[in-house]
Amino acid sequence: MSARRSLANLRIADCTPLTKVFVQAFEKGMLARDLGVEFGRAVRDENGTLRIGSGPGEWLLLAPPGSAPEVVERVEAVRAEEPVSVVDVTHGRALVRISGAKTVDLLPKVCGIDMSDSITPDGAAFRSSVAKVLTDVVRDDGEGTRSYLLHCERSFGQYLFDALLDAGEEFGIEIEGFASNNSRSPE
Amino acid sequence: MILLPCPHCGPRNASEFRYAGEASTRPDPNATTPEEWRAYLYIKNNPAGWTTEKWFHRTGCRRYFTAERHTVTNEVRETRLPAARLESNS
Repeated sequence: MSARRSLANLRIADCTPLTKVFVQAFEKGMLARDLGVEFGRAVRDENGTLRIGSGPGEWLLLAPPGSAPEVVERVEAVRAEEPVSVVDVTHGRALVRISGAKTVDLLPKVCGIDMSDSITPDGAAFRSSVAKVLTDVVRDDGEGTRSYLLHCERSFGQYLFDALLDAGEEFGIEIEGFASNNSRSPE
Repeated sequence: MILLPCPHCGPRNASEFRYAGEASTRPDPNATTPEEWRAYLYIKNNPAGWTTEKWFHRTGCRRYFTAERHTVTNEVRETRLPAARLESNS
């Protein structure tokens, strides 16, 4: 097996092993203020968890594999006097990362959202139809390279991966293996 | 392509939404007559002009909202969230 790292302009990796925690709370409640990220944005906290404002009053937290108990514990530590739902959805969702300069050519083939820097800069998050699948899209650039995380129901994961591979064939898409740096956690 | 401006997500392709019918006030089930209840359920105005209707953003924020749309030109002049949702966010 080769240890070569792909340098292609379009790469795809299955990041499903990352911990995924789904949070629901009031949009302007105590927990929302503590999470500190509004709908449509994504920020990485000091623990390496990517906090995504995935919907009005909804957040998706992405963390290194196996860290669900700690992530849930940190959220529940906020003594919010309001209804809050915190669910580990790691095994119910699929996560795909596409990276490289050609992602800006690939995504418009399968998604109707404007991917220009002025509309969806680094740290932007939105939910839309990607290849006809309800998908959370997060722009999460790394090392100066354009990169997107695509999050969907697990039952659609294989289809979405295959649809992206098919759409990316003309741009020379290459498959990367899952690597710990996909979580961009502090080493 | 018809663009529908979601109050949460901004302008999106109409294929992302589900039409949820004309907006109307639900009568009190304990006080209404069968005729009024039937009219609420089944009789629609269906005008050729401006109408107020409910939409559901199924492949987006997954929220219901109200839109004022011209049924002939498909122009949308206003979209807004339900009043109850606005109160819960304040």
